[in-house]
Amino acid sequence: MKKPLLYKINIFLFLLPALFLFIAVLIAPIVLSFYYSLTEWNGFTTPEFIGIKNYVELFTSRSINISRALKNAFLLALLSCVIQLPFALWLALRLSRPIKGKTALLSIYFMPVLISTVVIGQLWLKIYNPDYGVLNVLLRALHLDSWTRVWLGDKKTALGAAFVPILWQYVGYHMLLMYAGIKGVPTELTEAAMLDGCTPAQVSRYIVIPYIRPILRVSVIFAITGSLKSFDLIYVLTNGGPSHVTEVPSTLMISMLFLRNRYGMGSAIAVMLIVLCFFFALLINAIFKEEK
Amino acid sequence: MKKLLSIALALVMVFALAAPMAYADDQVVLTLWSIATESDSSHQAFVDAIAAFEESHPGVKIEHVTTENEAYKTKIKAAMSSGEGLPDIFFTWGMGFLGEFVNAGRVASVEDAYAAYQDELPENMTVNVRYGEDNKMYGVPYTMSLITLYANMDILAEVGYEDIPATYEDMMACCDKLVAAGYIPFGVAGKEKWCLSEYVEPLVIKSVGAQNLRDMYNGVTSWNTDGVIKAIEAFQSMIDKGYFDPSANALSNDEVKNNFIQGKTAFYQNGSWNNKDIGEQAKFTVKAGTFPVLNDEVPLLSLIGGPNNTLAVTESSANKDLAIEAAFYLARYMSDADYKSGANLPCWAADPDADVNELIQAAADMASQAADLVLFGDNFLSADAANTYLDYIEMAWAEEVTPAEYVEGLDAELH
Amino acid sequence: MNTLYEKKSKMTLIYILLIIWAVISFFPVYWMLTFSLKTNTEIFGENVAGLPREWVWSNYTRALNTGNMPRYFLNSLIVAISTIAITLAASVMATYAMTRLRWKGRKRMNGFFMLGLTIPIHASIVPLYTTLAKIKLLDTLWALIIPYSAFSLAMGILVCTGFMGDIPYDLDEAAMLDGCGTWGIFFRVIVPLMRPAVATVGIYTFLQCWNELMFANVFINSDKWRTLPVGVQSLSGQYTTDWGPIGAALSIATIPTLLFYVFMSKKIQDSFIAGAVKG
Repeated sequence: MKKPLLYKINIFLFLLPALFLFIAVLIAPIVLSFYYSLTEWNGFTTPEFIGIKNYVELFTSRSINISRALKNAFLLALLSCVIQLPFALWLALRLSRPIKGKTALLSIYFMPVLISTVVIGQLWLKIYNPDYGVLNVLLRALHLDSWTRVWLGDKKTALGAAFVPILWQYVGYHMLLMYAGIKGVPTELTEAAMLDGCTPAQVSRYIVIPYIRPILRVSVIFAITGSLKSFDLIYVLTNGGPSHVTEVPSTLMISMLFLRNRYGMGSAIAVMLIVLCFFFALLINAIFKEEK
Repeated sequence: MKKLLSIALALVMVFALAAPMAYADDQVVLTLWSIATESDSSHQAFVDAIAAFEESHPGVKIEHVTTENEAYKTKIKAAMSSGEGLPDIFFTWGMGFLGEFVNAGRVASVEDAYAAYQDELPENMTVNVRYGEDNKMYGVPYTMSLITLYANMDILAEVGYEDIPATYEDMMACCDKLVAAGYIPFGVAGKEKWCLSEYVEPLVIKSVGAQNLRDMYNGVTSWNTDGVIKAIEAFQSMIDKGYFDPSANALSNDEVKNNFIQGKTAFYQNGSWNNKDIGEQAKFTVKAGTFPVLNDEVPLLSLIGGPNNTLAVTESSANKDLAIEAAFYLARYMSDADYKSGANLPCWAADPDADVNELIQAAADMASQAADLVLFGDNFLSADAANTYLDYIEMAWAEEVTPAEYVEGLDAELH
Repeated sequence: MNTLYEKKSKMTLIYILLIIWAVISFFPVYWMLTFSLKTNTEIFGENVAGLPREWVWSNYTRALNTGNMPRYFLNSLIVAISTIAITLAASVMATYAMTRLRWKGRKRMNGFFMLGLTIPIHASIVPLYTTLAKIKLLDTLWALIIPYSAFSLAMGILVCTGFMGDIPYDLDEAAMLDGCGTWGIFFRVIVPLMRPAVATVGIYTFLQCWNELMFANVFINSDKWRTLPVGVQSLSGQYTTDWGPIGAALSIATIPTLLFYVFMSKKIQDSFIAGAVKG
């Protein structure tokens, strides 16, 4: 079928606002960042073109140690997929069955998402505080004094301690997405399965979860890209320390861009992050498609 | 919902599209960017200074834009980077921070105007704002800070000291007694690297002397000297002997300072900008002093610090001369006001009869008698080097590097 | 009998778990409200988690008297509502073009928009600053509304795609037979049915821009265009910070959100349900 010109113009007009915003605010700066990543630039003088030297340094420099930052980000992404998402799914499944106080629980579980990172960060700093923090006080009360730690300051525990709040904060977010998906499962399907003698667990396993796969895909993409880009809470809790053990790509990027005035290198990290996130988004899409 | 939305949208149009406030034609408006947020101890002084300037310069108005410290660094760098929307006058730190803006040609020289103020602003207070081969002046400093050793004299008295120990050996003996008595000698925020440098730099300068340290920062001499190694050894032995708060790595400077004020640590070594808080809030006798020397050939009053809070003028300012005049005027006013309020030490000649609190008086005495002053390392060095330097200090603190590796690393990576 | 007992104890266990998680999730709200009424001494150690010993209501007076909090609140509200409106309009239109209109490359275009999920906002600050300055939008609320909308767009399109996929194609055809063109279908069929998307896109976009600090700090100078997070931040000084008033300001900024959410939660959840099926 041959499309009239008017139809094409209409398509363009419908896309125009979104395209305009998207290209002007997101794409143009990223193209610029890509150019800057090929330069040695402190942000103020004229950029000097140096080819891929920044990338070479990024992946070889021992002091930047990008591999550690990437390892941390991947670990967070993994934990998010194997702890946060399953727990959110469990909550969502539980709450989608008849249960008392459902509405209240749903609202409360979402609250951490609504609260500003400043509050969440300060709260967990207080929880982890070695002297008066809730965690150590609790351990002492249980006579587990030997378990007490300088949680965020100890190289062994800092990474785990910094990850817990990140994983915790967004459980509600994923739960609500999944809950919504579950509510969209046609009741005929679940009821029929129940009549056939399936236990609730079996209904979840064989009917509900396969049905909400599109939602799970979105959740997984958010969880992984969010983990790779995570910054706010790490910045408040440890700012990459102690001795850089909790460094993630974003903290390195900020330090290059705005602390060390190495705009070229900071841009290189940004480009790397974008490529990684996009790669994973495509990968997840492919995996979900294949299983179908 | 729809109605609400359209009303809100209409509101937005009215508000957001309104042009920046228009002033009468004959009025000149200067913009000033600073970090003196409303809760900052210098805020009132800025407000007063601006009011005084406006009164003495009819037809001139200063618009004061304040941004929180960390956010300010991002903001000024973004503006300097694009060269657009810059203020006329901006707050800055001396040496490295201002230096990169000067190199980019964004900052106006105040050299010519300085001649008129030479009597009140001594030349040695301007060393940190001079750049280039012709050593021109690019900023007007107003307050200076010194690393100060604050001591809780009530705790020291309990272990038998009536004054801050004057020799290194005595200092260590005092710390041993403090530890034995169940006190934490030093409070430090391991989380904030600059706080670690407040302990390391005095040790280094009191081991190698001011000129050597300055040469090391400038890359003229090697860090690899017995003096620096000795200082780092001293630092690490203090860590090993448990002189520092074992929770340090989890604490922010706010918490550490609060611990000192609560009497949880015997000493707190940090900048003289803490004088006001400590003086007002501590309920015990506080003394402000300096760490003893590690090397008898170095004068005791070789101090870390110097003029750092500075006002500078942008090259792009439409009223450059007026802005420069305002920068000097405000700086002179701020220097005096911050001194009198006890917030910090003045760069400009101070009123000798001013009635100031004891701590600031002690710091001012130290400054006036100082044998030599070297600026904080992270201010002295350029941004990239400064952060590498702080990383090494943190590695020394975590004992990931030996003193020998520390000096070799700095030699290899700083320049 | 035995299985009934087992079932009951299993249910109790589940309830205990759900309630523990509820306590953990609610704790930050409780903590924020209590620390907004404490002094630094209590916040730092003496009384971290308990009720304030001395209820320092003056923290709230101080927070409200700092700068122009009501104005900041209004600005934040204007920014949030405009951002939501623009995001919604742009995403509904784009989604319509990519799902209901048939043309080559529409799938690829959708992928292109998903690129928006991958971009770290910090890397865009300097280029954005320059652009905004050049088009004279720096230091206006547009300097926030435009970037926030652009960054919410990918999410908006993702959600809208789900909603729009649920609308039967028969409706388009019926409208076409009635003589509606592309725009007619869009306004008469699609837009009215997209109402539930308002809540979903709204809450996500709101979350993105209500607490945003980096752009708000860099792109706004004048006091009269400041947003709440910047106002809250101005409560901390260079060398000293009183945390009580900060808590008070944060509570002032958060409570409306919480109330709005609690009262709207039924509606929001319903719309999630409507929109989520196709994700």
